[in-house]
Amino acid sequence: MKSPPSERARSIRRRLFALLLVPSVLVLAAGTLSDYFTAVTPFREAYDQSLIDGALAVAANVRMDANNKATLTLPPEAVAILRADSSDAIYYRVSDSTGALIAGDADLPEAPRSGTNPSRADARYLDEPIRVVSYRTYTNAGLLTISVAETTHKRDDVRTHILSSSLAVDFMELGLVLALIGVGARLALSPLREVQEQIGQRSARDLAPLPLDRVPVEIRSIVETLNRLFNTVSESASAQRRFLESAAHQLRTPLTGIQAQLELLVADEADHSKQQRLTFILDAARRLTHTTQQLLTLARSDEAANLRWDLADVSLPLIVENIVADRVAAADRAGVDLGAEIYPACVKGVGWLLNEAVGNLANNAIAHSPAGAQVTVRCGVQRGAPFVEVTDSGVGIPAEERDRVLERFVRGSNARGAGSGLGLAIVSEVAQLHGATIDIATGPDGKGTSVRLRFPVLSAPLQPAYASIASTSFADAQRL
Amino acid sequence: MRALVVEDDPLVGDAVRRALTAGGYAADHVVSAEAAKSALHAENFDLLIVDVGLPKEDGMQFVRGLRARGKIVPVLMLTARDGLSDRVTALDLGADDYLTKPFQVPELLARCRALIRRANSVANPLITFGGLQFDLARKEATANGQKLDVTHREWSILECLVLNAGHIVSKEKLLSSIASFDDDISPNAVEVYVSRLRTKLGQAALIRAVRGMGYRIDEITAK
Repeated sequence: MKSPPSERARSIRRRLFALLLVPSVLVLAAGTLSDYFTAVTPFREAYDQSLIDGALAVAANVRMDANNKATLTLPPEAVAILRADSSDAIYYRVSDSTGALIAGDADLPEAPRSGTNPSRADARYLDEPIRVVSYRTYTNAGLLTISVAETTHKRDDVRTHILSSSLAVDFMELGLVLALIGVGARLALSPLREVQEQIGQRSARDLAPLPLDRVPVEIRSIVETLNRLFNTVSESASAQRRFLESAAHQLRTPLTGIQAQLELLVADEADHSKQQRLTFILDAARRLTHTTQQLLTLARSDEAANLRWDLADVSLPLIVENIVADRVAAADRAGVDLGAEIYPACVKGVGWLLNEAVGNLANNAIAHSPAGAQVTVRCGVQRGAPFVEVTDSGVGIPAEERDRVLERFVRGSNARGAGSGLGLAIVSEVAQLHGATIDIATGPDGKGTSVRLRFPVLSAPLQPAYASIASTSFADAQRL
Repeated sequence: MRALVVEDDPLVGDAVRRALTAGGYAADHVVSAEAAKSALHAENFDLLIVDVGLPKEDGMQFVRGLRARGKIVPVLMLTARDGLSDRVTALDLGADDYLTKPFQVPELLARCRALIRRANSVANPLITFGGLQFDLARKEATANGQKLDVTHREWSILECLVLNAGHIVSKEKLLSSIASFDDDISPNAVEVYVSRLRTKLGQAALIRAVRGMGYRIDEITAK
């Protein structure tokens, strides 16, 4: 389910984050500005007011002499008080209506007239920015302009302080908001992640619909579409399964008829040459039947592997008994001593497929063993893992061919007689379906072959419903 | 011996009928459960061979109905289906034996003979197996015409094998058939009795040991 994220893979979380980030930054910046101006204005007013107070104080000390000429009668102590400031230089200037200096600092600029008196302005003096307040008053000597100014160090300090503290607070806010967006996006998207995990954890064979109760409405339609898809796949798979089952049935019945009729004809035929020809046809019919059976089994085990077939508890002893019982006559014809070693063992699986697989192993063992050889079908549990095994003392499979013989239509270089090359492929498919491993080894005493299917260790040991065909099937009918 | 073949496939049905006829039975062939019921109503049969996959009422239902009506005629079921479970189901439903398609004609005949032998062992105590003739009532047997001199235990084992001919009989089962004579008996005793029986039977029948599973008795067929 996992694919490496491409460079520009679309992520809802990243998108959400980006979309929320820009407006949050803008809102916070606006907040910072408004905080700044709100805080700065009262300070400016207060400082301006003290300048105005100074100007009024200076104005109060302007006196008219006899010639109606204005003079400033400010004692040096008062000037010292006026100019006393820890951080800023204070300037003042008194001028008449012509702009001529009456007292104070000569080149101090005046605040231009404005709607208010005193008027205020920012200006420069002695290469420094200053704040100047000019008070205009009419006296007997005409218009007098009294300006008081100060450098802006205090104001700058306050402004810097306000700005930096409000910026600090706002940056913290920004950080918090970003963190909240991040956490929020993650929490908001967690149902999505849950669905993703649910799908990710499913086995590829699992076609059960996803539960809808915890799916958020936003992706409900996606999950519903998925469920419809699962349903379609599952239906087509079971249709396929029904088709294969029916095909198996439809093919097997006429083949049985042909084979049985030919057997009877061979037995009845007096003409030797005709009998021989019929025997050829009978052999061909048997091979055809065998290959059909093998191909159908292979197709159906493929199908079983693609779907989660209902795995049931399968008793390995039952399978071994069935296989040995069915092959006693064949083993006898081949002069092979067929036997079983049965210990209780139970696996989760598909009974008939296991029967086919182990049956193929037994057929191979009998076919490739010389007269007098032993073939043994075993089952049991080793170190917690159930196994079923067929050993023979026949021709063996060369070590370098052991992996390849499991492929379809591949036969061992020393295989005898006619064969489809499908037997071990079926074993391999069935093993895969059951999560079993196939060990092909040299048989006991260094001769022949031993093929073992090792099943996964059962977590909870099953109690095998151990019914033995050989000993109990006919118990009811028995009247002894 | 009358046998009824219930098989909807004409080719298979005809082959089974012919095989049975060749095996010395008077065999009839019908293609449905319905036809089989009317045939059974009209006549008595010693053996039924029933295909599982019949149209309409299938073979399993037919056999269940048959047993429900108290018919004890031996039934051999034929099936084209896979699986062990069908075998178990068929036997549970009251079939006496079960053969998977494709089967070979000699196997079919051997199963039929075994079924009839077992069914008749009560009503008709005289049965034949290959070169052996048994009188179950008098517990006497002849092998190729020669009287067979066997002990009680050997007889029990031979009887058990013959009545289950065609199938492997486990050592435990053979042991339990003789256990009533002596409760303290060793499993190895079975091997001893079988070995003695083999000598006594000579060429009349073959008792084959299937390692790990038990014994099976076979008729010796001339090849």
